[in-house]
Amino acid sequence: MGFWLELAATGLITGGIYALVAMGLNLQYGLMRIMNISHGEFLMLGAYLTWLAHTVFDINPVAFLPVVAIVLFFGGLAVYRLCFRRIARTSPSVDVIEARSLLVGFGLMYLVQNAALLAWGADMRGYSYLADAVEIGGARFAANRLLAFGFAIAASLALLALLRWTIFGKAVRAMMQSPTGAQLVGIDTAVLHPVVFGAGLALAGMAGGLLSMVYEITPSMGEPYTVTALIVITLGGLGSAAGCLAGGLLLGLVEAFGMHFTNPSLKTLLSYGVFIGVLLARPKGLFAR
Amino acid sequence: MTANLRYTITAVLAAGVALAFMPWLLSDFLLSLALSCLMYVALASSWSMFSGATNYLSLATSAFFGIGAYVTAWGLETLPYALAVPLGGVIAGAFAALVGAAVLHLRGAYFAVLTFGLGELVRHSITYFEKTYARTVGRVLSDPPEAVTVYLTVLLITVATVATCAAVRASRFGLALAGVGADEERAQTLGVNTRRVKIAGFALSAFFAGALGAAMAVRWTYIEPMSVFNPFIGFQTVLIAMIGGAQTLLGPVVSAVVFSLFSELLRLQFPYAYLMLLGLLLIVLVLYLPGGIGSLFRGRWARA
Amino acid sequence: MPEMLLRARGVYVRFGGLVAVDRVDLEVRAGELVGVIGPNGAGKTTFFHTLSGVLAPTAGQLIVGGEDLTGHAAHEFANHGVARTFQTPRVFRDMSAEDNVRFGLEFAGRRRKHARDAFDNPAAILDLLGLGDVAAIPAGGLTPAKQRLLEIGMALGARPRVLLLDEVAAGLTHAEVDATAQLIRRVRDEAGLAVIWIEHAVRVLMNYVERVAVLHQGAKIADGDPRKVARDPAVVEAYLGEEGGGERKAA
Repeated sequence: MGFWLELAATGLITGGIYALVAMGLNLQYGLMRIMNISHGEFLMLGAYLTWLAHTVFDINPVAFLPVVAIVLFFGGLAVYRLCFRRIARTSPSVDVIEARSLLVGFGLMYLVQNAALLAWGADMRGYSYLADAVEIGGARFAANRLLAFGFAIAASLALLALLRWTIFGKAVRAMMQSPTGAQLVGIDTAVLHPVVFGAGLALAGMAGGLLSMVYEITPSMGEPYTVTALIVITLGGLGSAAGCLAGGLLLGLVEAFGMHFTNPSLKTLLSYGVFIGVLLARPKGLFAR
Repeated sequence: MTANLRYTITAVLAAGVALAFMPWLLSDFLLSLALSCLMYVALASSWSMFSGATNYLSLATSAFFGIGAYVTAWGLETLPYALAVPLGGVIAGAFAALVGAAVLHLRGAYFAVLTFGLGELVRHSITYFEKTYARTVGRVLSDPPEAVTVYLTVLLITVATVATCAAVRASRFGLALAGVGADEERAQTLGVNTRRVKIAGFALSAFFAGALGAAMAVRWTYIEPMSVFNPFIGFQTVLIAMIGGAQTLLGPVVSAVVFSLFSELLRLQFPYAYLMLLGLLLIVLVLYLPGGIGSLFRGRWARA
Repeated sequence: MPEMLLRARGVYVRFGGLVAVDRVDLEVRAGELVGVIGPNGAGKTTFFHTLSGVLAPTAGQLIVGGEDLTGHAAHEFANHGVARTFQTPRVFRDMSAEDNVRFGLEFAGRRRKHARDAFDNPAAILDLLGLGDVAAIPAGGLTPAKQRLLEIGMALGARPRVLLLDEVAAGLTHAEVDATAQLIRRVRDEAGLAVIWIEHAVRVLMNYVERVAVLHQGAKIADGDPRKVARDPAVVEAYLGEEGGGERKAA
């Protein structure tokens, strides 16, 4: 019993991070049809910022998370201003917006990832933070993992609450359902779009900061998370933040149990299998009615 | 065959014949440089054949390339090189047709991501298969063909790819692909069986990438999934084609030559700065010249 | 009696809980020019989507030239001689006007002959529409009015037997509407087509068609001679419910 609990908990812990990474991307895509393929690179930047703060200035990684979020938020505003605003304005249709932003995302991926390689090299970096094991109900977990999980879930829930109950959240949801309708009632895309884009990057950066406490980091760490985020979005449904949380946790569980029953080297195979299966069978997400 | 098409194909063949003498004129280093150029010319052209025309952004190039390479890796002990290469193309094409039938109803980001995922899926499957059943990570090609043979084979594939591109553009099939790219539903209401056209286009494009993978595989002598399914090959192909102008014939060709040269020369010394530049160039082009550099010369080359 | 070219039987379309088209029957014979009118949201365009195969009906049957095409893809409808235009022009923007017309000739129209050779090449079709002088211009560069005409040209290129026109008069001046209507009648007469013409603006249509069907809330509430239909209490009721919508929109 304790063993299964531990397995499930391991899955949920990974899944919590997945959910956090996917949420930002999902908001961006749901609202603006920007499929930012460089999402993972900003996660990587968050990880490196946290690592730098900890190793160079000896700042507590948890205390530094808000700083990471703020830096990436403003970075996001800048990226939106420099790249995506123009695309949204000059593209004749949403399909074109989607295609062009995908390509710009590619360019950003190359740009950011190689800039990081240039700055920090390809070596793995890391630091030790709260690596001791904690025992809960007969199962043992590294403290930093629990912490990361807790933060990921808290941030996800906070975002859900923000979307549900604040004026800003209502505006975002209105915009996703009916862009023209929302504009008619006075919602301003010129503010909303950059802010949501920045918030997406802030979430990615925070996820990166949390990951840096648990895993070694490299400049190429982001890419797999981008793909994972896309899988989670597919599971949870486009534009649905709650679906994202559920989808992320589910994928974490699938990976944990799948690896236990088959073979650890099948992990990636498994998530791609789930991804392709869901995309073919239920392209609108598992929870769509 | 229109006069224009005949002219283009003659030019392509003439260039092919001229390039066939290179092995006896160039040093080994320059020859391997030329081989890289040819490889990316063929990859970028075959990618543009489908993705440029239809606007279905495929990231499966490295999957097709890798499948072709593994046909050679597995088959070269029993098959002659001359047979392994077309077989690699056919198997990659068949794979594309199968996959295309399943996923070509998805558009936009979904299609792009799914094709990328498929490449990774194939790579991980082969890795797993090799580890579990063949108890090996990579394979050593014991008796690879000579460099000249490889060069001429790749040249042949490249010439065939570019000539096919030109022929497709001038054909009904090409018109149908362009219709799919411009407005799929409208094309359908004018009688195009868009599903069949997309699958055929995707498979044809995969055939060339697969044949190329099969031909190039022997260049590595040691083949492992990570190197032949390298996503970078697929990304670089997309970048080259988009920068050159995926809707033109000549754009991807010129862009492939330029960037393969840059890539070989700069990547050794300034690997990261070079790739940053590539990324930046792509962003700037998408923002300010979405049709790629080739679109500047559209009037002259669009009809080729 | 002329050949029955298109028969819709009990066509029913439901989106979730919303019934957009409610068991509509419509039969059209060669040489007929039939108008379909209805207030906003009456299901006209959705009905058209089913007639052209763009949308498969939830229930019902579509028979084209005697063949049951229910559930088939749009290109099958096109290949059996159903061609349509779209409300907002969907021309191939980067292709020349001439290539836009040629597109249909190369695919749906490839194995069919028009009754008159007049429409067998792109130049003739463009001339007929008065677009001869813009043949080489990319379609995206044409004025919206000309794009609307080009839409008709693309459909004619498909060498149709049934021509479906979706609000081709919207946004045109009175004189332009008149010219377009004359053109449609001429094409119909010369090629022996069946034409179904949807228009939101009732008055425009009533003057030019010989038969009109009225959709209201997805259902067909009248079908017959325009003068009789215009006096039909159910039709008057449907339009009055929309604050005299026909008048307002036509203005």
